[in-house]
Amino acid sequence: MTRNSSLATTTIAAGSAVALFALVAKSGCANPECATPDYRVAECRVIAENEAARLDVDERIEIRFQDPSAIDDSTWDAKGRLRRLGNVVYARNAGLGPFALSLDTEPGDPVTVDLVLENVARSMTVTVSGPGSNLEIAVDATGLQRHVTLTLPPETTTWIRGSLECADRYRLALSADIQTNPDHFRRILEHLAAEAESVAGTEPLVGLVLMGDLTELSTAEQFEVIAELLAASSVPVAVTPGNHDTYDSLQPYYNDFFGPGNHSFTVCTTKMVLLDSGSGTLAESIEARVPELLERQGAEHLLLGMHHPPYPGLTGAGWSREDRAAALLVEAAIADVDLIVAGHKHALVDFPEIPVGDASLHEIVVGTGGAFQGAGRPRYGYVRATIAEGTLETCFVEVSPPGATMEPTAKVPGQLMACSD
Amino acid sequence: MARFRSARRTDDRARRSAYSVTAGWILAHGLNPQISYAAPSQYERCAARSAAEHGSHTWKCCVPDGRACTRPGPARLVLFSTGGIALGLGLVAQFVLGDSLGSNDPSTFLAAAGLIAGSGALVGALTGRWLNADGPRIDRVRADTLALQGSYSGASTVDETSPPNLRGSFAPTLRFAHGDGRLRLTGHVGGDLGRHRVVDPRRQVANADGSAPIVRTSKILSVGVGLDLAVALPYPVMSRRRSQYLGAVELRWKPDFQFRRENIHAGNGSERWIERTMLLPLVAGLRWHVSPRQRFTVYFGPRFDIVSYAEGPNDRLRRGSPQLAPLYGEAWYDIDVPLQGRKRRSSTIVNSQFSAGYVHSRFDGTGLNIGPVVGFLGTIHLRAHLRIIPRGSKVAWQPTLAAVLGQGLRWNISLGVTLPEIRGKRR
Repeated sequence: MTRNSSLATTTIAAGSAVALFALVAKSGCANPECATPDYRVAECRVIAENEAARLDVDERIEIRFQDPSAIDDSTWDAKGRLRRLGNVVYARNAGLGPFALSLDTEPGDPVTVDLVLENVARSMTVTVSGPGSNLEIAVDATGLQRHVTLTLPPETTTWIRGSLECADRYRLALSADIQTNPDHFRRILEHLAAEAESVAGTEPLVGLVLMGDLTELSTAEQFEVIAELLAASSVPVAVTPGNHDTYDSLQPYYNDFFGPGNHSFTVCTTKMVLLDSGSGTLAESIEARVPELLERQGAEHLLLGMHHPPYPGLTGAGWSREDRAAALLVEAAIADVDLIVAGHKHALVDFPEIPVGDASLHEIVVGTGGAFQGAGRPRYGYVRATIAEGTLETCFVEVSPPGATMEPTAKVPGQLMACSD
Repeated sequence: MARFRSARRTDDRARRSAYSVTAGWILAHGLNPQISYAAPSQYERCAARSAAEHGSHTWKCCVPDGRACTRPGPARLVLFSTGGIALGLGLVAQFVLGDSLGSNDPSTFLAAAGLIAGSGALVGALTGRWLNADGPRIDRVRADTLALQGSYSGASTVDETSPPNLRGSFAPTLRFAHGDGRLRLTGHVGGDLGRHRVVDPRRQVANADGSAPIVRTSKILSVGVGLDLAVALPYPVMSRRRSQYLGAVELRWKPDFQFRRENIHAGNGSERWIERTMLLPLVAGLRWHVSPRQRFTVYFGPRFDIVSYAEGPNDRLRRGSPQLAPLYGEAWYDIDVPLQGRKRRSSTIVNSQFSAGYVHSRFDGTGLNIGPVVGFLGTIHLRAHLRIIPRGSKVAWQPTLAAVLGQGLRWNISLGVTLPEIRGKRR
């Protein structure tokens, strides 16, 4: 045998040995999920978002986010984010609608806790009910925060609940992909503030939903910038991460700042389910829970949002696993989802009819939150969903960069129209 | 100009000799010869002569390849340049022209195919020099007429399972009467040999013993059938006097039908049957023989998907209609490496082939994600094949070790057998 043939044979033998070793090593080294966390992995973020929904304060009091309808405090739900800075506990409501927090105290002396509720609509009524206290938390002078100091008796459970009065007809804003351009996103928030003020009495704007890519590099500094912007928003903002928010392996910054990526909330007559597709697919445990998450629970309208469009068409911006995207579309068809909203593609694309089985789904890609869109004039803004009994109408609100003419940009593929006001 | 004339004179001598050898070779063995070492290496003679006359200008020498001669060096240089341009254009379209122009899908494939072409040409040059991968055609690895392929990725999480996958495939080939083309019927049937099992890692739903509850099990069946038509273009395309002998090209058409049926049991008691069908009626491409032992192949075309489902075994299947799906594409670079010297007279001939490819599809698994670049790319494939054929036999055995690089690495091992091609009748 020649030198060449020896080399080739050695290469093949080495390859086989590596493959065999990989198989044996893989099957013999199973660990509990995320025993060594890598927060680029979707399943590790599921653990992070659930851990962030519960906080133990000095082993004296445990605060838990709960489903708004919960009456039992034995468990908790990833419906928000709790964190402690100094002696103050910050609780961010992940959704736009009602929320619930349980506060369980340990035996001993009464416990005092300074609590700041974040991302709570100014029109929301927030009450505290428990053995030692029954009160309503007043609206702060500005912003979406509520401050309260509670002194709670030992071995009791106190509940804080937010509830919302709704108009017959209301609006919801939808956008995605801010990334390198928080400056323009600030203009979008200003535009939303003006809209919220102008329609407050007739057709209130209940909030903004962002379908991921809040940052470019998943750094704490970039999340801080976005968190400050959202804290100053005039309407509550619900978010889910994108691929640019989830590629720091060591720290779940997204979950630390905003809480869950996989969550659902009901605001007025609409249920919105948000899924963390930052890794290009869902965590498998979340996929298993999708039928449960998509249960309407009495809501008239059902919206599904995530960063990666499950149906990408020819945008090139799809899921890393198309089989899982198809499975999600099937669940959406079974649940009769009214609208799927996504980002990832930095453009506005409307897919009015996606055939899945004998159903047809409607998907809008709205990656127009400020990120670079390429050559040509950018189209920034948000989709406005106007919701009333029996109807859900969508149109696009363009928020042009300064200096841009007000001429309409290119037509949107599909049926989406520019909003008339 | 003088250099080209010199190259032509050298080529002419090599070519005349090559044609006579090739004609005899075809007469003796047909167009799919099993033993190629009977053909003397015109390339080596030319290379020696060229080295003596001009120093080391071996790139001027052409290597006999079936019907004609190929100059691997210049052919690879053209492929490398073309690949570089494609990569550059793809990246510019992706990152400069950007999303608003809607070019992401084709530009991603353009960049990836360019990368395979360029890196293939580079590796081809190195292996041509160091692994004898530039000589005359050898009895190279062919598509397995029948094959069995197994893969296993294992589960890395306690209480989860990821069963092995087994797939049987077939690919009989009909060679056209005049040897300028062939038609291959391809297909496979396979699936999981057990159920995938997934647990819910949330602490608040843990079982009493602390273990994570199982929330989903699934199992998949995979079926595919297609055609692969290859027709050789005239060679050389230009007149022989003006040809630079950059290698023969085949046109290809590869219509394909892929079907997956998945059964899912979710933790809340729901059951789903999900059927996905991928239709590729218009996938076409070309194969460029940049050297008798090296080939670059590319396919590209539209894709249509049908998604159907049923809620449990008693529900009727709700069949979907075709929807336009992401574009489909493949790019491959193959290198044949002979494993036995010409003079060796063993009872078995053993040759190998190394292939690197990019498949622009995430239909069957996880695409390649790089940092924040998630959801755009398909999978990278690396394959090492052996072809083992007893001297004089018409049946060859072909074991293959393949690695699929997506979000993680998956290994496949297959054993195939190649039977003689079916020959079309001569008129």
